[in-house]
Amino acid sequence: MEPIDDLLDEEEGALELHTDPMRLNMGPSHPAMHGTIRMVLDLEGETVLNVDIQPGYLHRGFEKSCERGTWNQVFPYADRLNYVSPMLNNVGFALAVEKLCELQVPERGQYYRVILGELSRICDHFTCNGATAMELGAFTPFLWILKVRDWIWDILEKESGARLTHSFGRVGGMAHPPTEHFIEDVRGVLVEIRKVTIETETMLLKNRIFLDRTQGTGILPKERAIQYGVTGPVARASGLDYDVRRDDPYLVYDRFDFEVPVGEDGDNWDRFMVRMEEIRQSIRIIEQALEQMPGSGPVSVDDPRFLLPAKNEVYDTIEATISHFKLVMEGVKPPPGQVYSHTEGANGELGFFIVSDGSGTPYRVRVRPPCWYNLQACREMIIGDMVADIIPTFGSVNMIGGECDR
Amino acid sequence: MEHSPEETKITIDGKPVPFEPGDTIIRAAWRQGIEIPHYCWHPGLSVAANCRMCLVHIKSGRQMEMPILKWNAKKKAFLPETKPKLQPACQIEAQAGMEIDTAGPDVANARASVQEFLLLNHPVDCPICDQAGECKLQDYWLDHQTSLKRKRTEPVHKPKGVRFGPTIVYDAERCIMCTRCIRVCEELVGDPVLDMRERGNRNEIVLAPGRQLDHRYTLMTEHVCPVGALTSRDFRFKARVWFLKASPTVCPGCATGCNAHADHDPRYGKVYRLRPRDNPQVNQHWMCDDGMMTYISAHEGRMYGGLIGRGDEREGCSPTESIRQAAARFSAVESSRIAVVLSALRSSEDNFAAVRFAETLGTSKLYVNARPDWVGDDILRSADQNPNRAGVTHAAGREIDRNLNDLMRDVAAKEIEAVLLLGSASTEFAQQLSALGELEAIVNLASNESAFTTVASVVIPTVSWLEDFGTFRNRDGLDQQFRRAVPAPPGVQPAWKAIATLAAEMGRELGFSNIKGLRALLNESTSSVSAQSSDSAAAAGATV
Repeated sequence: MEPIDDLLDEEEGALELHTDPMRLNMGPSHPAMHGTIRMVLDLEGETVLNVDIQPGYLHRGFEKSCERGTWNQVFPYADRLNYVSPMLNNVGFALAVEKLCELQVPERGQYYRVILGELSRICDHFTCNGATAMELGAFTPFLWILKVRDWIWDILEKESGARLTHSFGRVGGMAHPPTEHFIEDVRGVLVEIRKVTIETETMLLKNRIFLDRTQGTGILPKERAIQYGVTGPVARASGLDYDVRRDDPYLVYDRFDFEVPVGEDGDNWDRFMVRMEEIRQSIRIIEQALEQMPGSGPVSVDDPRFLLPAKNEVYDTIEATISHFKLVMEGVKPPPGQVYSHTEGANGELGFFIVSDGSGTPYRVRVRPPCWYNLQACREMIIGDMVADIIPTFGSVNMIGGECDR
Repeated sequence: MEHSPEETKITIDGKPVPFEPGDTIIRAAWRQGIEIPHYCWHPGLSVAANCRMCLVHIKSGRQMEMPILKWNAKKKAFLPETKPKLQPACQIEAQAGMEIDTAGPDVANARASVQEFLLLNHPVDCPICDQAGECKLQDYWLDHQTSLKRKRTEPVHKPKGVRFGPTIVYDAERCIMCTRCIRVCEELVGDPVLDMRERGNRNEIVLAPGRQLDHRYTLMTEHVCPVGALTSRDFRFKARVWFLKASPTVCPGCATGCNAHADHDPRYGKVYRLRPRDNPQVNQHWMCDDGMMTYISAHEGRMYGGLIGRGDEREGCSPTESIRQAAARFSAVESSRIAVVLSALRSSEDNFAAVRFAETLGTSKLYVNARPDWVGDDILRSADQNPNRAGVTHAAGREIDRNLNDLMRDVAAKEIEAVLLLGSASTEFAQQLSALGELEAIVNLASNESAFTTVASVVIPTVSWLEDFGTFRNRDGLDQQFRRAVPAPPGVQPAWKAIATLAAEMGRELGFSNIKGLRALLNESTSSVSAQSSDSAAAAGATV
């Protein structure tokens, strides 16, 4: 089809298209702006000339807040970083403090952490991909995905007592051992996850609208991804083959056989597909972990300096009472020093840099939130595209306000 | 005999530690701020060496090996072996060149075992124990034991909540028999009212027959108690110590000026107890019972605002309004007929401001209000019950020998028309002071209700000693500064500031606007006694 402009006779002046650049505010309260974030767009027609992305609306002073409680009181805050996959944050922070304390969680606890973490990752990727599809008009996959996500949450609730913000990690282990039917529950939900993955793909991957909207839009070249410090699915979609689970294994990830999916173009389609494939890989990891996980044994270190003793001990013996008292009133006391510890969060490398002065209160907790680095690259992905392309691009970057603004 | 520096040093875990002749290992370490864990040793008491927590391995000199039986897992039998004999650091005198190991596995093992024995029959009392949070059993469990209970039989039960006297309650189950309290009574007070009876796990501290724990230093038994066995009836169940913050202060109870910590809860702005602060120049490690209780008077009958008028016509007003009213009344009388009553209970700063006030008014009618003498002793208590009599002399530049009796005589002789009363007077003066009720301009600067506030026509509220920065000069001429522990009620000023404002209202200038300027003036106007601050001396004292 010919462009409409060529049909117009300009001399007659019958129709004039006003093409001065226009400034448009998108957000901070906009249904497609995940979290609260503002974009100031310079538009020429529908093309984005420039964009100023302004995060910070969800700043709660996470890092400063950590400096006034005990180390274990940081876990509820860590939950609220990436609240779509709180279990991964819990474990990430626990691993950092354990590195400082030179603690090694028992094997069963490590497998337990892996399984809960991978379930959280599946939730996170599902939510991201489902929401992206929904915002492009495909509501059905979103509802199917949320149905399965709820079933995963049922398991997490059964284990931790909370559906969303679990606060389940502890320095030196987990708050509780796995429930009796944990393994069967997880196996059951894996079937459903597989099913809905296939269903979603059937709905979307041959859908012309979906293909047009995602393929070739929001491109992030590999070089720029490296320069921006982008990690996680966004970086892998751009062809950067990096996954902390494989490249610097923590917990028991070195015992699993899994692939790290890598894209080529770095467009919205690649990011969607990387996440879909990572869900499959997470299922593989969980299946292997369920296979290898010891059937009995502790999930937390057996050291009353770190873990609260059993309640019946606390009520009956003075030693356990003192331990409880010391842990509650003064907190776990890591040796003075500082460490950086990183894990693969749902959005990329989730790092904790922590400093201890030897007291029961963190001296400094610094988070490396993957979203923050991914969001930096978002500007380049958007410029040059149409306004409507912002929606899938921003959706697939999966910026989480809680983590980004902290 | 002269010693070269190398000869007067011992080595603790590779670190050279100097010592003075006669020092034990633990005292030499204590002087350097190195803590060797201990329960029964106290720097101010004799050595008992009964808790065995301070056992160390002396690696130099002749080694003593103890025969033991050690479990051999391979042969599944106890086999004879030896281990080094450990010695109590509190009892062994430091010798030049001694090498001491306090961190090796033998020492750690010994400490863990001692700690386990001490907790063997200990009741599960932390949640209801006042010592929790500052208890050595808790601290050392975390530092040196960190294991859970192995004994599964019923603990030995002993008397709980035994009333030892008007101030102290004893719990035998919590007691670890360190005998610190016995030694305080015997060595500090010279009244051996406490002793120990029975043996082993039936041990308990008892009173001498027919006696109560009722000497003047009973609270020191609680102060030295490393666990929660002795508790102060005053402090019992009032606060949890981890909510309390300590501020350095000086006891206002008598002319000795014992150094103390004022433990206060910042949430409520309230002081809950005083605790002795080590100062080798003044009070070593101790305070008397009356001194420990002085904090109560600062909270009793607190003046939160000004008062105008007397009796039924008395009305409350803001602090600023009370100063304005006082200025108006003073301005109405001839300034040479105004008397100024200093206070031996208030800081040198407050008294100096009052003296300057009298000087600018041109009146020479200075009097001093002081508490009558009480029973002193040769331990700490001075017969002079006033913390700052020397400070008043210092502030006035001369001895002021006119007291309240002289004031009342001069009032009766119609020589005085107006009086500025600084601080408080005890209620027994009420009758004697009633003639002041006839005068129109009786101004009292008070933090608490007293006989002065009853007779005053204007009361200007001031901060109390716990809410103020100031100086007391003790009986030895030592200027000791105390710091604010809790905030003053809103709008309430220190007395020296209120006097300066009062003078300004009357169109006069005292020559200072802040405490720094005041102190500079105070020290240049009277340099008869060389002032020395005790702050540095206090910092030298280590924790026990």
